Amino acid sequence: MLLRTEHISKQFNGIYALKDINFELLPGEIHGLVGENGAGKSTLIKILTGVYRLEEGQIYWEDQKVSITNPVESRDIGINVIHQDRILIPAFNGVENAYLGMEYIVSGGKIDWKAMEKNVADVADSLGIEIDLKKTAAQLSPPQRTCLEIIRAMMKECKLLILDEPTASLTDKEAEILFSIIGKLKEKGTSILYVTHRMDEIFRLTDRITIFKNGAMVETVNTCDVTKDELVKKMTDQWSGQVIQRREEFGDVLLEAKGIVSKDGIVKEGNLTARSGEILGVFGLGGSGRTELLECIYGYRSTVAGTVSVAGTVIAKPSPQNSLKHGMVLICEDRRGKAMIGNLSIQNNILLSNIDDYAKGGVLDEKRETQAAAEKVQALDIKIAGLKQRAIELSGGNQQKVVFAKALMNQPKVFLCDEPTQAVDVKTRSEIHRLLRQKADEGSAVIYVSSDLKEILEVADNIQIVSRGRTRELLQNRDLTSDQVLAYCYDK
Amino acid sequence: MKSKQGNVKHILQSYGTILAMILIIVIFSVLRPASFATVRNFINITRQMAPLVFIAIGATLIMSVNEFDLSVGNMASLGGVMAAMLAVRGLPMAACFLLPMVICGVIGWFNGWIVAKFQVLSFITTLGMSTVLSGIIYRLTGGATVFENIPKSFAWLGTTKLGPIPLLSVLMLIATAIFWFLMRHMSLGRKMYAIGGNEEAAKIAGINVKKYKNIAFALCAVMACVTGMLVASRVGSANTTAGAGYFLQSYAAVYIGCTVSKEGIPNIVGTLVGAAILTILANGLTIMQMPTYMQDVITGAIIILAVIAQRLGRGDAK
Repeated sequence: MLLRTEHISKQFNGIYALKDINFELLPGEIHGLVGENGAGKSTLIKILTGVYRLEEGQIYWEDQKVSITNPVESRDIGINVIHQDRILIPAFNGVENAYLGMEYIVSGGKIDWKAMEKNVADVADSLGIEIDLKKTAAQLSPPQRTCLEIIRAMMKECKLLILDEPTASLTDKEAEILFSIIGKLKEKGTSILYVTHRMDEIFRLTDRITIFKNGAMVETVNTCDVTKDELVKKMTDQWSGQVIQRREEFGDVLLEAKGIVSKDGIVKEGNLTARSGEILGVFGLGGSGRTELLECIYGYRSTVAGTVSVAGTVIAKPSPQNSLKHGMVLICEDRRGKAMIGNLSIQNNILLSNIDDYAKGGVLDEKRETQAAAEKVQALDIKIAGLKQRAIELSGGNQQKVVFAKALMNQPKVFLCDEPTQAVDVKTRSEIHRLLRQKADEGSAVIYVSSDLKEILEVADNIQIVSRGRTRELLQNRDLTSDQVLAYCYDK
Repeated sequence: MKSKQGNVKHILQSYGTILAMILIIVIFSVLRPASFATVRNFINITRQMAPLVFIAIGATLIMSVNEFDLSVGNMASLGGVMAAMLAVRGLPMAACFLLPMVICGVIGWFNGWIVAKFQVLSFITTLGMSTVLSGIIYRLTGGATVFENIPKSFAWLGTTKLGPIPLLSVLMLIATAIFWFLMRHMSLGRKMYAIGGNEEAAKIAGINVKKYKNIAFALCAVMACVTGMLVASRVGSANTTAGAGYFLQSYAAVYIGCTVSKEGIPNIVGTLVGAAILTILANGLTIMQMPTYMQDVITGAIIILAVIAQRLGRGDAK
């Protein structure tokens, strides 16, 4: 047994992100790790690589009890990880990057570049990787960078290589190169933990598969003993929404986005239509471009193609200002980073996008401001010490309510909500669901992005699938089950 | 017991800087009662700090949008030089003082435009601009102080007294009040603080971040220009490097001022306190006949302490 975990758990703010995991990994196997967003895959990786501290449970490495408290210790015992976003220094060449975090070879007080280059080239040869080590990381293509990371991982004795969505930014052809390297690593006896959403890769590469669900381990199976459908079923709870009453009759089209292409290439083709009274769920796996699509529609992220019209009017120059002017608001996923100004007071946060509405000749009418903010605080039942309290001091749920209060100040026709219930308590979550349904009933259109499929099934009238930067099928949320929806996401 | 400690901490956090200022005043008053602790000297201090306050208000604005302008020193010098040269040419006094403000405002706007357009660091951009400005000053003056043929009326602004109170001190208080109102009670200030607090959130809330940063850069340059002109008017000549000494002092005043606000953010009243502390120190140490190098050491140490205090005060907030 190369790696064994015994009853390991990890909590954040009293909520288990990982619970009682007994995971086993054999030497020389390729082991797939699958699960929905938030199933706990990343948390496990971060524990194994020393990013998170382990609080409960034991880790056994080659049958010895070990404690991994930081990334260096993890690397020292032979665990390496290659992340979705690569960690190379752009201006360093191949040799320098391969030696990151390692002692340089020094002879006679001088760095022996030749010896170092030979070592790196030897590792590259043994893996059958051909890249120019003189080139800087910035000059390399994405698959070449992945290769360089693998070289770097193999510089020291590496017994376990963790690959976290390694093909997310690779083309199919580039992925083939990676797969052949993975084959070579396996021949050398290196174990691989392969984390991905892509079922075809799981079935092609792995020997065994471990399934995570909601922070718990479901089971480990031999790859040859399961089918794809069975596996998807194991990953998700059988669940179909029924809680809030849904609609099938809608009013006029309030939002129409056509042919959106983002400048950075993450959104390749976005088409969305939402009507008055509709809650349109948008679902896609991590990295599918759902957040980026919303940001493009709102005019926050640059686009190179596409049009957005709100209530029949095309927004000529897309920008957050113009979106707000047309009655479209965005509730960001990244609350602290983009939706809220922690250092400002609750009142100023609520009024953030309406400063000019409360100013006469540039002078703020603070009485009216306080009144307006107080009304919203009361309407949304936000628990605060006072309007002058700093927003950062509130709990997650109340912070999110402040964000909603800010959005409501604009009397929006279109709500773009990105993970609006992320990191909020259960009560606030259902309050937000009710609020959005109420706004839809009053005639608004709501776009609801969530990585939590259960939530989408619970609140959405229709579900738009997003995968690999493109909007795909539009599903009517009637008698839909989670695995039916997921099947669309996993298929190419 | 614990709440008492909390109280002390709270008082120190809220009023520590003002208490420090009072402490400095008390120390100098005890050491030099006859020369320091006089009404005349205090009036003198308000006049000495006036030029610093103008440029420091500009620095407060630029820091409130979370940017930096390193060209303020040379901007001040340029302002003084331009005003003096225009006066020599015999332009009406109003034009001598208004035209440089317009020119510097445009240069400041340009600073902001470069920063926003090319998404470059304001730090480096304005450092480059600063060097450009020093070149322009040299071209204008040949490196020599402008002092010949300056009309007497040029000195009016810097030397007039209203009874015992210098006009400079009065202008300083008026400017402080105006900018306090602007930052505290007007939409412009609210938007600038929003940008400084979280630029992305401000953008998403529909605030035109580029525009307000440009305004901040322009106002910052105008205020630096005013400082340069006031110094020139006060001494009746324009030194080509008159502004250099104000650059570090202005940011020091802002940093000390940050510690006056609960949130640890740049604010006009705090900046006034910061400028006062720096000026009182310089005044007191000079009266004590402390050598210049000691003054530099003490002033520098206080700036470092202020930055640390600001960091500690800010603590949890993003």
